[in-house]
Amino acid sequence: MAFAHAHGSAGPQRSGVAVVAPVKDDREARAASEPVSDPRGQRRASALGALVGGAIVALIALAAVCAPLIAPHDPLAQDLLSLNQGPSAAHLLGTDHLGRDVFSRLVMGARVTLLVGLGGTCVAFVLGAVCGLTALALGRIPEAIVFGAIDVVRAMPGILLALLLIVAIGAGTGPVLLALGLSYAPHFAYVARAAYKREAAQDYVRAAGLFGGGRLHVLSLHILPNVMGGLITQGAIILPRCIVTESVLSFLGLGSSPDAPTWGRMVSDASRYLEIAPHAILIPVLALIALTVSLLLVGDAVRAHLDPLRRVQAAKGAA
Amino acid sequence: MKSPSLTLDRRQLMLGAATASLVAVMPVSLSAQEAASRGGVLRYATLGLDTSDPHRHTGSIAVQQLYVEALTSIGPDGRVEPFLAEGYEVSDDGLTYTFALRDGVTFHNGDPVTAEDVVANVERVRTNVKGGWLASAMKLVDGVNAPDDRTVVIAMKEPYAPLANLLSELWIVSPKSDGWNETITTPIGTGPFVFGEWKPQISLYAPAYKGYWRGDMPYLDAVEANLREDLDKSGAMRVGDLHIASVPRDEARQLAKSGDIHVSQLKDSTWYFVSFNNRKPRPPFDDPRVREAIMYAVDKQAFMNFLAGDDGVVTNQLVMPGHVYFDQGLHDADKHAKPDLEKAKAMLAEAGVKPEEITIEFLSWQENYPQVVVQMVRQLGFKVNHVALDDLGAQNRLGQYDWDMNAMASGPRADIFLRFVRLMSNGPNPVLWGGVQDPELDAIVEKAVAETDEAKRKALYLKAWDRVMDNYYTVVLGHAANTIAIREEVQGYEPGFTWSPNWATGGIAQTWLKQD
Repeated sequence: MAFAHAHGSAGPQRSGVAVVAPVKDDREARAASEPVSDPRGQRRASALGALVGGAIVALIALAAVCAPLIAPHDPLAQDLLSLNQGPSAAHLLGTDHLGRDVFSRLVMGARVTLLVGLGGTCVAFVLGAVCGLTALALGRIPEAIVFGAIDVVRAMPGILLALLLIVAIGAGTGPVLLALGLSYAPHFAYVARAAYKREAAQDYVRAAGLFGGGRLHVLSLHILPNVMGGLITQGAIILPRCIVTESVLSFLGLGSSPDAPTWGRMVSDASRYLEIAPHAILIPVLALIALTVSLLLVGDAVRAHLDPLRRVQAAKGAA
Repeated sequence: MKSPSLTLDRRQLMLGAATASLVAVMPVSLSAQEAASRGGVLRYATLGLDTSDPHRHTGSIAVQQLYVEALTSIGPDGRVEPFLAEGYEVSDDGLTYTFALRDGVTFHNGDPVTAEDVVANVERVRTNVKGGWLASAMKLVDGVNAPDDRTVVIAMKEPYAPLANLLSELWIVSPKSDGWNETITTPIGTGPFVFGEWKPQISLYAPAYKGYWRGDMPYLDAVEANLREDLDKSGAMRVGDLHIASVPRDEARQLAKSGDIHVSQLKDSTWYFVSFNNRKPRPPFDDPRVREAIMYAVDKQAFMNFLAGDDGVVTNQLVMPGHVYFDQGLHDADKHAKPDLEKAKAMLAEAGVKPEEITIEFLSWQENYPQVVVQMVRQLGFKVNHVALDDLGAQNRLGQYDWDMNAMASGPRADIFLRFVRLMSNGPNPVLWGGVQDPELDAIVEKAVAETDEAKRKALYLKAWDRVMDNYYTVVLGHAANTIAIREEVQGYEPGFTWSPNWATGGIAQTWLKQD
């Protein structure tokens, strides 16, 4: 996938300009000359972390996909005679302040939580990376306009920007995704610009231009495969941040609809009943911690895997 | 007509009112004197303070009545009682109100309160203040004058029954107050405490006024009102950082278990209701049959149990049982006292409504109780898009009339008219009730307001409420009082009828702190 030309496949070869392989660039030369700083024990710990993290993420994703089959109750159904009940046979993880089954809400909440995480990250990717790269390819004026706007967005704290947007356009899943996307778009844009500038200075890109490739053609076929690694890594970092931000927005009552079973909303709702129903807040908090830590572990592993510098170091260490 | 608490003869009226005031104040005063310790700062947190100008307030009255008082106040039973006036008289035609001012009342700058001062305050509200609760009353004032130093006469263009009650919120401030001609920045009132240092949204420090007119009150050195919206009142009450605070009912229950805090309630209720969009209703919610069917899905008893436990009262009226405007017959005939899902579904089918094809746009504040109503409505098969907003956001969205239903609440009021006025075509801030536009309803309420006989007035108000119920403009779910937590060291304080902390026969003036 990413760095396709480095593996001797796809774009650069089809366009006939893969004669200057970026694998030979100065990064790799520098990496080859540097001592290996990643001991095997550390790598094994990292791999184990990624494995455990990946397993947890997979479990949560599976629960989200099969939620209607797993959830024993309708997550919205209220039993007003069984408020704030502890775990029991009828309610595996107890009930909340409206008599709703906490386990069912947790399982169904995984759907919304993951949807918001993935959706927010995708919106941020499109707004930041796609718009940013397109503007960069089109020249200085589009670059100045798009990155000027991104600088303005970046100047505001993310949560504040999301709050303002939600207040302006209303609550709900759609507005939340847009708010998250706008808030995190600059992260993708800056990574994309740095990678673009680096790659655009490479000879193979110049050669592609000389052979008559248009700006967008060069971008899509030659530059994009070389910047995707960094962007995917960035996605792995942004995704848990989107989940946490949605939790904050839900906690403030500005996220999804009031009865939507998101984990953030569950925390927010249960916070008033901390004394009489601690289980109702503890369970979604633990789930949130597990998911975000796991995503970070997986993201770290993906970054390590996609970073050519590390790959070269690892190869040298193995040798 | 005379006001209910007054005699026909003016001299007797003055004597009777003065005696009644003394009787009302003295027992508390004497009993308090026996055990009261003086001193201490009472820390208090209920609602906020939106302006330093008492005549321009649009928010709550929970703080400003520490330092300003009015000709009348609302007693714990909801009846109007003379306050800065010793008594008042209403002419038989209901057009002339004559107030006899109390002797010995001084402003915080030491000046005695004169009839001219009161006239100046009424004129200021009439001419300088636009909108607000007193707007409709002030439009009907023909003139106000002071025939002598102790008497104020307000002449009305037409009878207006709520006037005496509404005057409990026309606070008398010295015309020497800073900003009198524009916005008063430092109100010089007559209350037991002085407008001291105000930090908006943070606090008001109000030291005691030593020249206060009620015996040797106040007993406290000062009151510090905490105005922070993000304050954890329950936590502050537990550790003793607050002495008196309004807290949600579920938190109040927990506080009551702590042993050094007891919980009381405001004497008037907050009423909970469902309103439909009446200004721009979209089909099928413009059909009263559909509204009626939806309300058959709402279990009012379960709702009130959830909201207030045993303290909740299920009814179909604007006031609680026991209130002068409560009607037992109407209460007993409540069609929605019990839910009937089958009937609801049958009615919808009869009206040609397929609920599964309709999404109800449902608005509320960010509270728990609307979710209960939403879930009950979903039982009929409707999809519900529930949008929960903060106070300002809800106000804005409700005013756009692009919604179908809401579930809201409204707090204590000095007079029942202030509940009906929200249902009138030109009423202030009618959005919570869906912006009713009904000239016939307006006419009935206007007749009620102008009616000087209390029994006939009640009949007219009930007729107006019948019309509201028949058209399903708003459906009352029930009533519950606001809960107030009070630490045990606070003595001589019991919440009043409204949020006001000070009234003629009780309140914060007679409150003291038990010393360790």
